[in-house]
Amino acid sequence: MNIENTQSQMRKGVLEFCILSIIKRGEVYPSDIIDEMKKANLHILEGTLYPLLTRLKNAELLTYRWVESSSGPPRKYFSLTEKGAAFYSDLQSTWDELANAVHAITQNGQSISSNNFNQ
Amino acid sequence: MKKVININFQGRVIPIEETAFETLKQYIESLRRYFANEEGKDEIINDIENRIAELFTEQLKKGESCVTDAHVDAIIASMGKPEDFDAVEAEPTSSQSQKQYSQQQTYTQFTTDEPRGSLHRNGNDKILGGVCSGLAHYLRIDPTIVRILFALITLGGFGAGVLLYIILWIILPAKPLTTNLKKRLFRNPEGKIIGGVCSGIAAYFNIGVWIPRLIFALPLVLGAFTGIFHNVFNHDFDPFPNILFSGFGGTLFIAYIILWIVIPEAVTASDKLEMRGEKVDLESIKASVQEELQGVKGRAEKMGEDFKVKAQAWSEEFKNTAQAKAQSFAADAGPAARRVGSGLGHAIGVLFKAFFLFVAGIVVFALFIALMAIIFSGAAVFPLKNFLLEGFWQNLFAWGALCLFLGVPVIAGITWLVRRISGAKSSNRYLGYAFGSLWLIGLVCFICLIVSIRRSFDTRARIKDDITVVQPPSGKITVKVADSKVKYYGGWFRGGGILTIDEDSLILNNVRLRVVKSEDSLYHVYSIRYSYGNNPAIAERNAGRIVYQVHQSDSTIYLDRGFTVSEDTRFRNQRVLVTVAVPMSKRILIDHSVDRRLSWDEIKFGPHDYYYDDDDNENSSWWQSDVEYVMTPGGLERLDKDRDNDNNNEESHKRIQEDNQKKEDRKYRYKKDSTENKQEKKDSVKAVKTGYREDEHKVENNESGNTESDGKSSISFLSPFQQMLAIGN
Repeated sequence: MNIENTQSQMRKGVLEFCILSIIKRGEVYPSDIIDEMKKANLHILEGTLYPLLTRLKNAELLTYRWVESSSGPPRKYFSLTEKGAAFYSDLQSTWDELANAVHAITQNGQSISSNNFNQ
Repeated sequence: MKKVININFQGRVIPIEETAFETLKQYIESLRRYFANEEGKDEIINDIENRIAELFTEQLKKGESCVTDAHVDAIIASMGKPEDFDAVEAEPTSSQSQKQYSQQQTYTQFTTDEPRGSLHRNGNDKILGGVCSGLAHYLRIDPTIVRILFALITLGGFGAGVLLYIILWIILPAKPLTTNLKKRLFRNPEGKIIGGVCSGIAAYFNIGVWIPRLIFALPLVLGAFTGIFHNVFNHDFDPFPNILFSGFGGTLFIAYIILWIVIPEAVTASDKLEMRGEKVDLESIKASVQEELQGVKGRAEKMGEDFKVKAQAWSEEFKNTAQAKAQSFAADAGPAARRVGSGLGHAIGVLFKAFFLFVAGIVVFALFIALMAIIFSGAAVFPLKNFLLEGFWQNLFAWGALCLFLGVPVIAGITWLVRRISGAKSSNRYLGYAFGSLWLIGLVCFICLIVSIRRSFDTRARIKDDITVVQPPSGKITVKVADSKVKYYGGWFRGGGILTIDEDSLILNNVRLRVVKSEDSLYHVYSIRYSYGNNPAIAERNAGRIVYQVHQSDSTIYLDRGFTVSEDTRFRNQRVLVTVAVPMSKRILIDHSVDRRLSWDEIKFGPHDYYYDDDDNENSSWWQSDVEYVMTPGGLERLDKDRDNDNNNEESHKRIQEDNQKKEDRKYRYKKDSTENKQEKKDSVKAVKTGYREDEHKVENNESGNTESDGKSSISFLSPFQQMLAIGN
């Protein structure tokens, strides 16, 4: 049991949730997601992001449209579908519960809002 | 100083340093392999490539003249290498669709931790259904070993292996499994001669490649040599040449074929490393890829690989759509129904595939055997050609039919097999068209040939020759076949009436003997010569060219053993029918030489005197050589038959018994005589004067009550060939 493994397991759990939160705010280009997550100090490789997006898209949680780009090939802009929005709100509530529970256990104190954890 | 090349990347022309391009290519390749089992992997790769292209364009816009190594390295670092992904996503992230497979996911995790978890078919490494490699994965042994075992079970157990395989194929679920072996046996496409088997073995055991080659080739070469010498000196022909199918060399030949089929070819760089047992990571792949690129074959192989990747992508896509459809349908019907539905569909699909492969395999195998037979019997059949074919067109058609009608499917089949073995799934359309049209030309040639040969057999002519017979005073006639001066050695074509063949003539023994009832009280002998031809004139000419002699000496009629057909007459199914008409209550004995030198079914005992038209409209009764028959109103009857039912005709009975007694003696003597004669030199006339021949003579005299001169009667006991000479003189 090494620490890195545990850390990555922890990060992995929230990754999808974070990505969906970013997309929920509006159409977004994958490298913008990377940038935003990087800013929040949550590093993700593009090589990891693309498969994840594809999977979410195949599950009909995301949809995309092609946008012509001045700086290269056309880009795919992703947005949430209705199904995706429902999925997101499920995750949101699960996260809230989980965050509360974790906080309660680790701080041994009052439950707090999940917003402290979530960007 | 670095070489800069232009590449077309995602629809853009990108100038890139060659080394940077290699790095990029390896990177994409590694991603491809990493995502190989991912649903929608092409989309992922495409997205990543797109992003890379975008980053390149940005670089170029900044004023860089080309993409450099440093750029590519930076991009790869930001995209992440497959090794880096592992840390982040050892297990697939959950999405709604994947929740359905949560059970399977735990499986995945379980098997990655403990690869020996459960038995699956391996979707990653398969020749047919991945059963063998799944089993091997379970047992943690090389899939090749399992495949060879399966092949042996199939060959030895008359298809039990196939059945077992199909059952396992249906039962076991498919799963992409990663190899759990450090070293695997591959066929090595670099430096291969036939299939790369030897080269792969050498790489596996890390020995010089000449060692396995020598082991495989030496017995085969020796076998081939002995086989050829055997054929040349013994004039023996074996339609299945023992070069390939017997002995130690043959075993190795088959072993090689099996290995060729079951051992996968080391196509990708990682395969090649596994072949040598090196650790597979990106660095070693890079090293090996670079090494490979230096080779001459590098580029061609890459092309093949790309081709293969495309084909796989296509089939993957097709599979995915089909699966998605089935799953969406099944999702409505509930999970249980989904399992049943896909299971059944899977089984049916497998059975279809197996059936198709089975049929195709048999066809290919049959064609292969046919080609082999044609090639190896070519030498023997070749001379026959001149006797059958007439003129330029028939020859042309014959060659066309041989090369195109038979050769093309064989070559196409072998091509298909090789492609199948080497893993290329899609075939070149134009190649198919080319093969198809060549084969059609071959078919036309074949039909033309058949028609044209058929026309040569259009008309039949028949020439009847009466042979004057001196009526034997003994009331008994004996029929023998003369020995001939040429010692015939037979080939496989000896059947079918063809006795032997040399450069310009063909000796046929298409000779039949028929015994009928005589119309009057005399013996009659006549021969009918038959031949076919394009038209009556030619047919008659052909029949007229048959020289077939029937001689009489005393009460013995000698038939020629065969007749010669010269090359310019050609083989037109010439045949001779010799008819012996036996008058009422006279006897006939057919010597065993007739039986032996003509063949059984060509001797007919017809009750009526009619010309025979077809081979099988004559009901030949069973009869024996060296047995005397007598002509009765009801047909021929055995003389010694009466001996069994005693109370028939007292008088004749007595006579018959005597006759039989004599005949027994004579038969014994004759046998002794003829066997001895065979050993004697043919022209030694002295051999005639042996004691028992005089006995024989006496017997015959007693029997017939006839007085004959000693000299004349002894001639009849000469060997048949001497007899001929004597008469000729």
